[in-house]
Amino acid sequence: MISNIKKLIKDFSLSELRSGMKITAKELVNKKITVQFPEERTPISPRFRGLHALRRYPNGEERCIACKLCEAVCPANAITIESEMREDGSRRTTQYDIDLFKCIFCGFCEEACPVDAIVETQIFDYAFLDSREGSIMTKERLLGVGDNNEKAISEARAEDAKYR
Amino acid sequence: MADIEIEIDGNVVKAKAGEMLIAVTDREGISVPRFCYHKKLSIAANCRMCLVDVEGAPKPQPACSTPINEGMKVHTQNEKAKASQKAVMEFLLINHPLDCPICDQGGECELQDVAMSYGSDVSRFTEGKRVVTDSDIGALIHTDMTRCIHCTRCVRFGSEIGGIMEMGGTGRGEDLKIEPFLKEGITSELSGNMIDVCPVGALTSKPFRYELRTWQMHSVANIARHDLVGSNIFTQTYKGKVKRIVARDNDGVNETWISDRDRFSYEGLAHENRLLKPQIKVDGQWKAVEWDKALEFAVRGLVNNALNADGGNKLGALASNTATLEEFHLLQKMLREVGSENMDYRLNVKDLDNVIDLESTIKLAVLEEVEYSLIIGSNLRLEQPMINHRLRKAVLAGASIDVINAMSFDFNYRTNSENIVAPDRTVVILAEVLKSILERSGAEIPEYLSTIKVDDVAKCIADKLLASNNSVIILGEHAINNPQAASIAKLIREIAQQTGAATLNVSATSNSIAAEMANFVPGQGGLNANAMLAADLSAYILLEVYPQYDFHDFVQAIESLDNKNTFVISMNSFKDKEVARYSDVMLPIASFYETSGSHINIEGVMQSFAAAVSAPSESKPAWKVLKVLADLLELPGFHYASSEQITSEISNQSHQYKVDDKAINITTKRGVSVIWQKSPYAIDVLSRHATALQVTKIGQMHSASMNKATAKKEEVKEGGQYLGVPVIITEKVADNCVFVNANQSTGGRA
Repeated sequence: MISNIKKLIKDFSLSELRSGMKITAKELVNKKITVQFPEERTPISPRFRGLHALRRYPNGEERCIACKLCEAVCPANAITIESEMREDGSRRTTQYDIDLFKCIFCGFCEEACPVDAIVETQIFDYAFLDSREGSIMTKERLLGVGDNNEKAISEARAEDAKYR
Repeated sequence: MADIEIEIDGNVVKAKAGEMLIAVTDREGISVPRFCYHKKLSIAANCRMCLVDVEGAPKPQPACSTPINEGMKVHTQNEKAKASQKAVMEFLLINHPLDCPICDQGGECELQDVAMSYGSDVSRFTEGKRVVTDSDIGALIHTDMTRCIHCTRCVRFGSEIGGIMEMGGTGRGEDLKIEPFLKEGITSELSGNMIDVCPVGALTSKPFRYELRTWQMHSVANIARHDLVGSNIFTQTYKGKVKRIVARDNDGVNETWISDRDRFSYEGLAHENRLLKPQIKVDGQWKAVEWDKALEFAVRGLVNNALNADGGNKLGALASNTATLEEFHLLQKMLREVGSENMDYRLNVKDLDNVIDLESTIKLAVLEEVEYSLIIGSNLRLEQPMINHRLRKAVLAGASIDVINAMSFDFNYRTNSENIVAPDRTVVILAEVLKSILERSGAEIPEYLSTIKVDDVAKCIADKLLASNNSVIILGEHAINNPQAASIAKLIREIAQQTGAATLNVSATSNSIAAEMANFVPGQGGLNANAMLAADLSAYILLEVYPQYDFHDFVQAIESLDNKNTFVISMNSFKDKEVARYSDVMLPIASFYETSGSHINIEGVMQSFAAAVSAPSESKPAWKVLKVLADLLELPGFHYASSEQITSEISNQSHQYKVDDKAINITTKRGVSVIWQKSPYAIDVLSRHATALQVTKIGQMHSASMNKATAKKEEVKEGGQYLGVPVIITEKVADNCVFVNANQSTGGRA
């Protein structure tokens, strides 16, 4: 009985509406947190697992040695590698494909790599509009991603190094 | 066998006194880590990985060299054992480069496996590691000696199994290097086994280098059919291609070893020279067509050219001795259904009325127990490496070997006497031996031996044959074209009967025994290979025939096949210029490891195998092609769905060696005689296309050897040409004899 009366008073005094409006009024003057993507971007963890890249050593030599551990560990079977003996006798890939449709971005390839060749960058806003082939990152494209983003990649790695 | 009882990890185990501890733990399935121990090699005990705790012993004992005693108590898992194993592991890893990601052994590496279970996860070693320079040891084995852990398995393999100690350790301590003594590198015909025994990635397969990781491949149990042993192998495949071959254990056949020919010939499968599409010849021009068109064309050709006019009489079939049992059977069945008895696989025999008919009466495993062996006309080591290996074991156990050859070959064991005689003397020596045996037993001397004078050599051989309870007479390939081949075989048979010796006929290799089993030989009124080629037949079916390699007289063979009125169906796995010249249809067939079938080895053991990969492009297994050809010819009884059905149809047949009743003939003709033998790595089409094998020392064997006197008589000089082959002058060859090792056949001149 008493609770019914209390509810009646609450309803007719518009107390809930007023408390809601109070928050609205407060947010009206507060600093905005909306990020205007793509003009603005949120900070990304150095461990973020985005688009893949193949890295090179500072002298320009590609890091990948075709050990195929990433291929073996990949839970989605997204990686295909063919290897050969290059003319100078070193072990190199002739083909290194990652199918982004299959990839689940688990980062195991990066973990397995003994030479830090395959990495997942902080790039996430890529799209392949052209065709099915667009989803396959070939060796050339992966090296290209690495070349264009080497600074960001090495910075992210350096930042995370102390936790490894 | 259970003599005594010992206790391992608290469990009582029965074992034989004097056995090594590791043999017992292996049998009981108790894992003890090891590197230097190998069940088929001698014990070195130098890696110290197998240390276990034996109660009563002050220090841990190596299981591989600790003989067991009654009541011995062993702990393989207690703290003391584990601590010593861990310590040894740490020492072994000090100088190991840990470059597993680029090492071909990665994934099948014993060091990797043992390090996972017994190693520490962090290395305490901060000093510089040792680096060893590699030496190029040949086309088959790649070395990365920095990875070597000095287990000396390869060294022991070379001296104990291979019979040539080509690898060895030089220097001591930190400077110890395992390397070949000579610049030549490794030349043994069994060298590939070093790759298998190497527990780390120091010795790896060169043709396979960096191609794949081991876990990517499928292993299919298979049979190698290059020789008379039928070694058990695993064909390892990736995406429908054979990528590597490794040995499969079978103590009755090849133990743990295989020859280099079996191991590296697979390279030929991927050769660009493969025949991939059916082709027909229209107005002298080759045209690639679909299978149905080609088969129709073939059948029409057969019917029009041979069957309609002459029944089967004018149709002949020739097959290479590398074909499978099923292929031989289908081809002979087809020919006999259409009424032809003209078929043969003995293409390299000059005189088919004078052939070797000799059964093999000894098991391979027994061969290593013989006390005495007489080898006639064979370079056994290169012709039949696995048979030679068994014989070598017998020699090491004390057997004595006599050799009658036209040239002194490099046997990898001590021979008692080597009789280097021209081929025409072989029959005389054997006759002398027989006469000596008969004289001693007081038996009647037959007419043909009456004029024979027994000399000391023959007497000595006869003595040994009579004295030994377990002896074998081995007849090899060089006798095939001996003018007295049939008599030699008969004399051997006679000698064997008189002395109880076993016989081993290694004169026809590959799958020849299967051809005999399948009865792929001319029947009543049929023509043999040479008679067919002389007889102007109107149609031929050729199975995997490459004339300039297979025919004794290829010039004449090509001439008679390359005839306008002769319709030739060629089934080949590789392209060949000569085949294209005389054929009317070329049907691409599967090569080794691409077809299912059976091989029959020298013991008469039939070993069936499945296809490891499917045949490339449009080529098909030959048994399927033959079956469809027979169906199109509307012959009954060819409703096979699998090659196993064919196998079961044949398996209850048995082959009887029928000896003709021609008298033994011991008359000899003088003059220079030539023995022509294909190089060991040129005996079949697959090994001829294996590039790595061809550049080895054995693969490069291409020479006519003769002594000075013969060279003078034949008017040739060192470096000159004899029958188109470079001349080598050496006193190793018998007088009046030229020994030719070539990768082609004679062209009828020898």
